[in-house]
Amino acid sequence: MINQDVDVAIIGGGPAGLAVAVSAREHGVESVVVIDRNSWLGGILPQCIHDGFGVEETGKSMTGPEYAEKYIKMAEKQGIQVMKETMVLRFDRRREIIAVNKKGIHRIRAKAIVLAMGCREKTRWNVMIPGTRPSGIYTAGVAQAFINLYNIMPGKNVVILGSGDVGLIIARRLKFEGANVLAVVEILPYASGLPRNVVQCLDDYDIPLFLNHTIISIEGKERLEQITIAQVDKNMVPIPGTEKQIKCDTLLLSLGLIPENELSKGVGIEIDNITGGPVVDQYLETTLDGVFACGNCLQVYDTVDMLSIDAKRAGKNAAKHIPIQKQENTGQKKDRKSSIRIVPGEGVRYVVPQLVNECGTIHLTLRVEKPREASTLHVIAGGMELLKKRLPWVNPANMIRVDVNISAEAMTSTESLEVTIR
Amino acid sequence: MKNFQVAIIGGGVVGCSIARELSKYKLDIIVFEMGSDVASGASKANSGVVHSGINSPPRSLKARFCVEGNKMFQSLADELVFPVKWVGKFVIAKNKDEVRELERLRKVGRDNGIPGLEIKEKNEVREKEPNVSCFAALWVPTAGITLPYEFTIALAENAVDNQVRFLLETRVTGLKKQKNRFLIETNRGEFQAQIVVNAAGVNCGEIVSMVEEPDFQVYPCRGEYLVLDKNYSSLVNSMIYPVPKKELDVLGVHISPTIEGNILLGPSAEFVDDPSDKRTTKEMMKSLLKEAKEIIPALPDKAVINAYSGLRCKLASPESGGWADYRIEESKHTSGLINLLGIESPGLTAAPAIAQEVKEIISQFMELKTKNNFKSKRVKKKRFSEMSTEEQSRLIKRDDRCGRVVCRCEQVTEREVIDTLSNPLGARALSSVKYRCRAGMGRCQGGFCTQHIVRIMEEHFNMDIADMKLKSPGSNLFHGRTREVKND
Amino acid sequence: MTKEKEVTCIVCPIGCKILVKTDGTQFKILEGNKCKKGIEYARNEALDPRRMLTTSVLIEDGEWPLVSVKSSQPIPKEKVFTVLKEIKKTIAKAPIKSGQMVISNVADTNIDIIATKTVKKL
Repeated sequence: MINQDVDVAIIGGGPAGLAVAVSAREHGVESVVVIDRNSWLGGILPQCIHDGFGVEETGKSMTGPEYAEKYIKMAEKQGIQVMKETMVLRFDRRREIIAVNKKGIHRIRAKAIVLAMGCREKTRWNVMIPGTRPSGIYTAGVAQAFINLYNIMPGKNVVILGSGDVGLIIARRLKFEGANVLAVVEILPYASGLPRNVVQCLDDYDIPLFLNHTIISIEGKERLEQITIAQVDKNMVPIPGTEKQIKCDTLLLSLGLIPENELSKGVGIEIDNITGGPVVDQYLETTLDGVFACGNCLQVYDTVDMLSIDAKRAGKNAAKHIPIQKQENTGQKKDRKSSIRIVPGEGVRYVVPQLVNECGTIHLTLRVEKPREASTLHVIAGGMELLKKRLPWVNPANMIRVDVNISAEAMTSTESLEVTIR
Repeated sequence: MKNFQVAIIGGGVVGCSIARELSKYKLDIIVFEMGSDVASGASKANSGVVHSGINSPPRSLKARFCVEGNKMFQSLADELVFPVKWVGKFVIAKNKDEVRELERLRKVGRDNGIPGLEIKEKNEVREKEPNVSCFAALWVPTAGITLPYEFTIALAENAVDNQVRFLLETRVTGLKKQKNRFLIETNRGEFQAQIVVNAAGVNCGEIVSMVEEPDFQVYPCRGEYLVLDKNYSSLVNSMIYPVPKKELDVLGVHISPTIEGNILLGPSAEFVDDPSDKRTTKEMMKSLLKEAKEIIPALPDKAVINAYSGLRCKLASPESGGWADYRIEESKHTSGLINLLGIESPGLTAAPAIAQEVKEIISQFMELKTKNNFKSKRVKKKRFSEMSTEEQSRLIKRDDRCGRVVCRCEQVTEREVIDTLSNPLGARALSSVKYRCRAGMGRCQGGFCTQHIVRIMEEHFNMDIADMKLKSPGSNLFHGRTREVKND
Repeated sequence: MTKEKEVTCIVCPIGCKILVKTDGTQFKILEGNKCKKGIEYARNEALDPRRMLTTSVLIEDGEWPLVSVKSSQPIPKEKVFTVLKEIKKTIAKAPIKSGQMVISNVADTNIDIIATKTVKKL
């Protein structure tokens, strides 16, 4: 067993983990270690060779690898310790991490841990598509890794299920590499990715987009041979008689992302069932003392820019936590009884953070349940309106960020804050 | 070598059991398997149940071989190092009428010599199974669960260790009897054997047709399953079966815990025309979930993480009631051809006993000389995820590949993947890796590990990406290169 | 020859569908935009549509088989596949530094292809 004591241990070296690390150092933390399971840093970014990253943050549009390299260079410059190709097996409530790599088993005792494990992709079985189980079915991210990192083309005649950005980007990539992209199938009445991607990935290349459609069957004895799509009604039920068969050899699934929290669950951290990520307070601290969460494992972000902003906050808060930690190490959340819950109300799917335990300005990120024009966002504590904001348009695919000032009065007057969109 | 004393057609659990049994004797044995690994058909697509025998009519071969096989299972599991757990089974009655069925089953069970059968009242059942709703239930202690693919692999690897030859991706395309030997045509050339054992499962009729007119017909009957997330493993402790339905002689929707902590719902039963039609259907998935919820009201929809299906080799048509006994016999017209027909449930349990019966039949043809160097035990390395941190540390010091975890969900190391791909059967499909070391079986379903396993296949085993398969000879993973490399 | 076409604006996530009339040099908006940025975008799309190109180049002797690249500026939309063709024939040699030029003046466009990743030599 190789033992090590650190101030801040960050699980995950993708954009979130790197931003946390850099921020923690900038706020005075001496020993910071970033642990990543791959032989590279940057997480998913090295395979995201398209541009559009960092526009809000830097004004320049970078590709994924360039954005990653920017942060990797910063981390190197600040002497942040990095453990690559290292898998965290578990950690416990005393913040002792057990990790493994080619050097052996490591026990890392940390004063603060930041969870930055990112997310995984939804699979065929999350939506239970009936049919056979042939080869040629991949989630879009895995296909992207093969094409861009390993020089492997998964197939030639491709159908993509899901019109989120991941699906749209891979449609164009495949087209560039000589594949036939036969269709992008989307169950909603609108594409769930950015209009820019619909134009530049589908329209530009005449790739058919089937809105209000889903895949009802997969066929192929050994390798995929064809899929059947059907139109759906407003309850997303396939309409008989609208079936259409598409012969293909590859099906890429872009069904959405699930925050990766197996480690968090293993140690009893409370998870929000809607976000899929840990319940956190305004400092991004989870229900386990000294353990923070950020990045896609907290909630799935739309852009890396927004993710980095929040990750840097987590780094700052983790840094601040360290002197406090010297006083107590109970493994329990301090002042739990005085924290109030932030509850998603009408029209709102979820809000992060879910807990507030001190008055002050809190940064809320939230998503709505469905697209709307001309709506108003309200944040209400007991009977008091804390915030009212007009929004010209809202969409579940676009995360909304607002800052709310919570007074001491508001904190004591209620047990929960409600956020609604009307 | 192209001449053998015994050729076994089919590398499923029955074929591999026979191979292992016969490998105790000084015989030249070869097994032809058309899939890319053993257990490619029904042998991997079942409930993994070690049946007690209460569902088979007394004095049938099904009953006899099931009860005999059941008794052999624990010692086989100890010798060959595969898991078996004696979780027991409750056959539940919804009302008083169904209790009569329980009594009938108990009688059948006692006739079959099954010990420990007891009818328990609702409250007693509740104590052991708090989430199950029923009126009364029959408790069957000798029912257990195993991992059917691991069992089959263990049999096959032990057989190879005892000099049996396995040819994977080898399909028998022709069979001819000439004097006292068989000429066997395959896609890998011609072979000869004195005895041919037809263990081809749902394709057994095809093999018989090569030499004679079959006196039977195969009615493929598909069974679909749903797999539930391990998070729900505490919903049941033992197997829960409803009282068997009268319409079709199949077991009905069962709820079975698995060795790894998942729960299986199924199988369904649907007669199909095509013996390779392994689709899962929306209708069945709905019915399975609906029927399971009648027994376990607390079961949520989102608990489902996977679905699969397998094909039973039935010898009786749906009109006739769908029940027929096993046929394990030498062909009346072609001597030396030993047919195993209609080996459906309880086939997994019966396999070791069937193997002994086949050995008996073969002993009529030739003298079976016992080997004195038969290796009865299989050595299986402990999984990294099951080791203590001290064991893990020591292992990594000796071989640092034991420290690189390539499957996050199941904590599988690079070393384990390499060992798996070095298996004695020569099975190199992605699913062969999955079934041997579990990489790819976790929640992310290969989202992380697939790329790393493929890299290991390329770098360590020099496999060409064009040859990489998912699970069967035609299930290629890839199309080609993004950019062609000059020397590729 | 004057054509009418519909341009989907991509400046913000609303994605207004703007109907324009153009003959290749002259341009007029008929309807659809909700703001001024849309006009500028629609003009460029109608008269001189360009795209940033991102793809990969094969490398020799690198720790990775491919290096991700981008065009130094947006390239004319109608030249995308010609440029891709040239990129596919190119083989670069490791080590490669992010920002390094991999192809100069690709397909006579006066635009370069730049590496976006650093790849060490094996």
